[in-house]
Amino acid sequence: MVSVINTVDTSHEDMIHDAQMDYYGTRLATCSSDRSVKIFDVRNGGQILIADLRGHEGPVWQVAWAHPMYGNVLASCSYDRKVIIWKEENGTWEKTHEHTGHDSSVNSVCWAPHDYGLILACGSSDGAISLLTYTGLGQWEVKKINNAHTIGCNAVSWAPAVVPGSLIDQPSGQKPNYIKKFASGGCDNLIKLWKEEEDGQWKEEQKLEAHSDWVRDVAWAPSIGLPTSTIASCSQDGRVFIWTCDDASGNAWSPKLLHKFNDVVWHVSWSITANILAVSGGDNKVTLWKESVDGQWVCISDVNKGQGSVSTSVTEGQQNEQ
Amino acid sequence: MKLKEIDRTAMQAWSPAQNHPIYLATGTSAQQLDATFSTSASLEIFELDLSDPSLDMKSCATFSSSHRYHKLIWGPHKMDSKGDVSGVLIAGGENGNIILYDPSKIIAGDKEVVIAQNDKHTGPVRALDVNIFQTNLVASGANESEIYIWDLNNFATPMTPGAKTQPPEDISCIAWNRQVQHILASANPSGRATVWDLRKNEPIIKVSDHSNRMHCSGLAWHPDVATQMVLASEDDRLPVIQMWDLRFASSPLRVLENHARGILAIAWSMADPELLLSCGKDAKILCSNPNTGEVLYELPTNTQWCFDIQWCPRNPAVLSAASFDGRISVYSIMGGSIDGLRQKQVDKLSSSFGNLDPFGTGQPLPPLQIPQQTAQHRIVLPLKKPPKWVRRPVGASFSFGGKLVTFVNVRTQPQQGAEQQLQQHHVCISQVVTEEEFLSRSDQLQQVVQSQGFVSYCQKKIDASQTEFEKNVWSFLKVNFEDDSRGKYLELLGYRKEDLGKKIALALNKVDGPDVGIKEEKQESEFLPSAGGTFNISISGDIDGLITQALLTGNFESAVDLCLHDNRMADAIILAIAGGQELLARTQKKYFAKSQSKITRLITAVVMKNWKEIVESCDLKNWREALAAVLTYAKPDEFSALCDLLGTRLESEGDSLLQTQACLCYICAGNVEKLVACWTKAQDGSNPLSLQDLIEKVVILRKAVQLTQAMDTNTVGVLLAEKMSQYASLLAAQGSIAAALAFLPDSTNQPNIVQLRDRLCRAQGDPAPGQQESPKVPYERQQLPKGRPGPVAGHTQMPRVPAQQYYPHVRIAPTVTTWSNKTPTALPSHPPAASPSDTQGENPPPPGFIMHGNVNPNVAAAQLPTSPGHTHTQVPPYPQPQPSQPAQQYSFGTGGSAAYRPQQPVAPSASNAYPNTPYISSASSYSGQSQLYTAQHQASPPTSSPTASFPPPPPSGASFQHGGPGAPPSSSAYALPPGATGTLPAAGELPASQRTGSQNGWNDPPALNRVPKKKKMPENFTPPVPITSPIMNPLGDPQSQMLQQQPSAPGPLSSQASFPQPHLPGGQPFHGIQQPLSQPGMPPSFSKPNIEGAPGAPIGNTMQHVQSLPTEKITKKPIPDEHLILKTTFEDLIQRCLSSATDPQTKRKLDDASKRLEFLYDKLREQTLSPTIINGLHNIARSIETRNYSEGLTIHTHIVSTSNFSETSAFMPVLKVVLTQANKLGV
Repeated sequence: MVSVINTVDTSHEDMIHDAQMDYYGTRLATCSSDRSVKIFDVRNGGQILIADLRGHEGPVWQVAWAHPMYGNVLASCSYDRKVIIWKEENGTWEKTHEHTGHDSSVNSVCWAPHDYGLILACGSSDGAISLLTYTGLGQWEVKKINNAHTIGCNAVSWAPAVVPGSLIDQPSGQKPNYIKKFASGGCDNLIKLWKEEEDGQWKEEQKLEAHSDWVRDVAWAPSIGLPTSTIASCSQDGRVFIWTCDDASGNAWSPKLLHKFNDVVWHVSWSITANILAVSGGDNKVTLWKESVDGQWVCISDVNKGQGSVSTSVTEGQQNEQ
Repeated sequence: MKLKEIDRTAMQAWSPAQNHPIYLATGTSAQQLDATFSTSASLEIFELDLSDPSLDMKSCATFSSSHRYHKLIWGPHKMDSKGDVSGVLIAGGENGNIILYDPSKIIAGDKEVVIAQNDKHTGPVRALDVNIFQTNLVASGANESEIYIWDLNNFATPMTPGAKTQPPEDISCIAWNRQVQHILASANPSGRATVWDLRKNEPIIKVSDHSNRMHCSGLAWHPDVATQMVLASEDDRLPVIQMWDLRFASSPLRVLENHARGILAIAWSMADPELLLSCGKDAKILCSNPNTGEVLYELPTNTQWCFDIQWCPRNPAVLSAASFDGRISVYSIMGGSIDGLRQKQVDKLSSSFGNLDPFGTGQPLPPLQIPQQTAQHRIVLPLKKPPKWVRRPVGASFSFGGKLVTFVNVRTQPQQGAEQQLQQHHVCISQVVTEEEFLSRSDQLQQVVQSQGFVSYCQKKIDASQTEFEKNVWSFLKVNFEDDSRGKYLELLGYRKEDLGKKIALALNKVDGPDVGIKEEKQESEFLPSAGGTFNISISGDIDGLITQALLTGNFESAVDLCLHDNRMADAIILAIAGGQELLARTQKKYFAKSQSKITRLITAVVMKNWKEIVESCDLKNWREALAAVLTYAKPDEFSALCDLLGTRLESEGDSLLQTQACLCYICAGNVEKLVACWTKAQDGSNPLSLQDLIEKVVILRKAVQLTQAMDTNTVGVLLAEKMSQYASLLAAQGSIAAALAFLPDSTNQPNIVQLRDRLCRAQGDPAPGQQESPKVPYERQQLPKGRPGPVAGHTQMPRVPAQQYYPHVRIAPTVTTWSNKTPTALPSHPPAASPSDTQGENPPPPGFIMHGNVNPNVAAAQLPTSPGHTHTQVPPYPQPQPSQPAQQYSFGTGGSAAYRPQQPVAPSASNAYPNTPYISSASSYSGQSQLYTAQHQASPPTSSPTASFPPPPPSGASFQHGGPGAPPSSSAYALPPGATGTLPAAGELPASQRTGSQNGWNDPPALNRVPKKKKMPENFTPPVPITSPIMNPLGDPQSQMLQQQPSAPGPLSSQASFPQPHLPGGQPFHGIQQPLSQPGMPPSFSKPNIEGAPGAPIGNTMQHVQSLPTEKITKKPIPDEHLILKTTFEDLIQRCLSSATDPQTKRKLDDASKRLEFLYDKLREQTLSPTIINGLHNIARSIETRNYSEGLTIHTHIVSTSNFSETSAFMPVLKVVLTQANKLGV
């Protein structure tokens, strides 16, 4: 089920906080408390260090690849309150932009669906979320949502680009009328959904309450052509919820508890086809979950310690817990 | 950053970590009088609601207490697993009393909130702590060195940790160890700390720096290290925090000297041992790392001292501080702006003034621009180091191709080795496979496609089918690969010929059995007279007489009328037959008008060929019957349209059960796109396995359609493309990138597919298509990258897709193919026509242009041997229906004579769907002609225009009309206005009469072309006219040709092929196709273009091919007839290889080979090859027919070794490549 095909020795000098593959799955970006961001070519099971990016003055929490139609672009965010956008030009990676608009640690960065242009959402411990939009010629426009989450925003995740009311392709040549949305999770235990108004301002559309502690991560599932929207959230409280909304207005979200873990759940990640959720928790455990036919979420695999040892059987007790 | 404020002078206690929501309890402080000097006291509970941006804490409950408090803690004991509020509030009072409150009752507003109370202590109880391992154990400390251990379950009698320390002192602090549950520490203002072991019931160590200046105001154990603790000093002379390790108790391990004046309280974070809060008389609140002494953070406070400070156990970034100015403040140490503070002031203001319209003016106050106060807007920086709880230690993220990237940061223990250290910083990339069944089935499917083992695959599926419907679907699909497909379809519908024959025989026996003798006798008696002697011709005045008279005068019409009038139907019909087609038709109509039996409509439809009527108006419950009728009777060109129509009806009008049956109709129709649509509607497509179900069927059906119609499978409709790309995505998600690439339709320019392809290619490590351009290409350009011939060549199947937006491709593709394939052959006889074709061949016109490209009828006609979707602009006026009907026998079962009528086609309905109907010319019909024509060429090379010399077509001879077109569609035939060729319908008219065919050309029925691929002819099948016939005998008697063709008609379903309808384009191609088939030793497998024997038959679909056509080829001679077989065989083989080859490299090779074999054909034309080589080539051809490629290779080697190199070098190596490929692919 799960087999390790490559182990990359990052040579980071401190904790790794994020590791993300690019759009094609051929490059790996990692970031660490050692303040560096590294990029590896990992094709064919190899590992070639392409870049060791220095520029942050604190631990780097997350990295995010932009869609390749914009070139090779990587964003990173750090405890140093900065967001840095790196770009590969002629084979060399360089800092192309530095965003210093936050007053506290920037915990999460996420690129908008490429259909919208180059837009980066950043969530910070200062409670604000900023949206950087590339306007050309090296210029970035900044919009900021203040007080998005009291004491801090831990995660941001964009909704897939779906044109409301139509799953069928728009007539070509016409720019589809996308509604931009993203989800954020924070230390106020809330998940919030944000929507861009017609005037370009971001407005809180929805508050999703179910967690009893910090929301550590939110992940909006990729669209698979169904009208249902799905968000996964995980929390300090050990719970992972799957939120779904299938009404047209997009406002009736209902949570379903995937599982209650015994420790903090740090990260949730959807597979590209949106049918598997990878959950990583404070007990250094990675589990994979899949929705069964009857709508129950079942743990299909346990990726222990990231070392590749896998046990596909999960004890009943663990599943039935909570 | 300050989050909340409460205006109280009070002791404070956070609710335990388990509790949600977070509460803060405050109890009026005993030490301080507030400004009112009030002596009343209260216990209050507030909720910390961070979603409320204001600074106010939400008050949940207030309980008026008779006590003031020195200490307040909130223990989790008796936590109710369900309740929001639980645990126990433990308060230390002024008079030695310890009071237990039930916070849930306080919040509920109960009067009885005290659980228990005990005043065993002497003096105020200043120290309290709950054991974190056994939460029912509470330690308390008071004056006189009194320490009690309380068991909340048995509150009446406390224990002591051991003998009181001497001299008696106040106990200012008490704390349970965080690692070892039986260890307790207490401290006195005098500066000494005592560590107790409850198991030993005695103090085990005393900690003191002997300075006498330590006035302990705070004591805290290290959260992680059992032997370490800190002591804080209240003394302004020694405002320090000492860190002690009990293993080295002679002096402090570290001394933190960050405060300027005495420290009033400390709090060590349980969430991060590197965070220690301290507040002092210097009015500072500091957060330091006690392990290093470094100050990490200074909270922005006012100038007041804080006397109590607490971490929020649940929210590690939150702390509260109680200050002497009568305020409890809640802060976050994560920094941030202090907008909230201002917010509170504004709120206060607005609440005072109410609604921002204090004077009731009806107008709200304008927003006040508060002058920027730098102090207030100061940015509060976060901690210098990130707290532990924000450092993500683990992560797992999916990436493309079902890969999972994981990392963990294993906490390294100091004693662990370097190896562990290294392990820490690894990232693992894993392949996640969750759909094993899906993958294995997909694998199987791929293998089947490669090995062409469709029949056995279908059979396996049939055997494994769980439902009847599934079984049906697979049975229908299987039939596509079998002989006599229509017959098999009928059997599947429950109409087995043999059974029916038996039934009929039975019925006849039953009915006629007893009467047979009598009847025969009767007949005998009736016929005897006439058989023998003379008979009397009565001309009396009765009906008989009138009829006789009419007959005698040749007035059939009247005679028939008379018979009808007299209700002598049989006579009427018989006479009508003699009276000619028109009369017969009219008579039939009249008969049907009169006749009213139950099955009349069916009979009507059968006779009138009005299948559309059946399909359109039958009861949907009878869909099987309707389909059976269509299968039995429908002409190939309308067959699929009819099946489609029926399917559409089932889908739109039927109930859910019938809707699914529509799938079967679509399978018959070979309409992949509609099958997908129908299936998708019926099934849940989100499940990979159900998608697999669909794709299996679609792939098989597409293969069938491809085989039967020589269509390029690369063309797909919108919906199918979507499904295929969904399928490919799923495969990719399981890590099967290569398989995903194989299934991804490669000839569509739908942006999402282009993108997926690009992504897959790159994920595989290949350069993406169009990579020579910038990487953005696939996204910015919605078009396929340049230089990819695939999509251009591959749209032949598009015609089946009703979606209009595909028309451009639809048109361009077949045309291009045609150009490339046919130009060389077609042109020889028409040098003048060559130039237009040439230019166009070299410059493939844009979609919209194609139509005009073919305006030259010579070229067009000549070039359209087989391409079913060919378009033709030259459409002469629709010809009048031929009065003379070729009595086309469609003998099925009873062998009723079915006369096709040119004006009858169902096709017009189909034509509605196509905007450019007039332009779409009958590819299929042309194919027949031109091929005949080309063949004929060898016999009579220059264009003799045989049409002119044809005798007027007798009814039966009409079939020769296609034979006629076999006459070269030479300039004379096509360029002349219709009618110029005499009584025969001019060849130029044919296109018109074939309009139905043309329309159906888009919708080619599978049956049409299914025939040629038949592995064997039905047993009773008489090979149709050999190809030599029209060639050798171009001016020959059409009758004879007809005769030759007739035998083919009675064949079973495959005999559609032999509909020798002269006027019916649909019928026409069959001659062309079947004739070559009849050649001995033709490869049984399908490869239509080659079979036709048209030199230069389609061998590749690439644009290069078109462009590479040299002009001089136009003048080439035809290949001698006896060697034509070489070309057809080789071309056929290449075609087969092409259809089973999957990788583009092989396809390229084959295309190239096909081109280079032209050298061989040229030599054949010039007849310059030595007989040995020719013989050898024929031997190879024979071995190819028997699929003995290795033998072919041996012969090949022999030829090469024995012949002159220069003679063979141009083509022999290529031939070897083809043979090797064929061998490899096992086609």
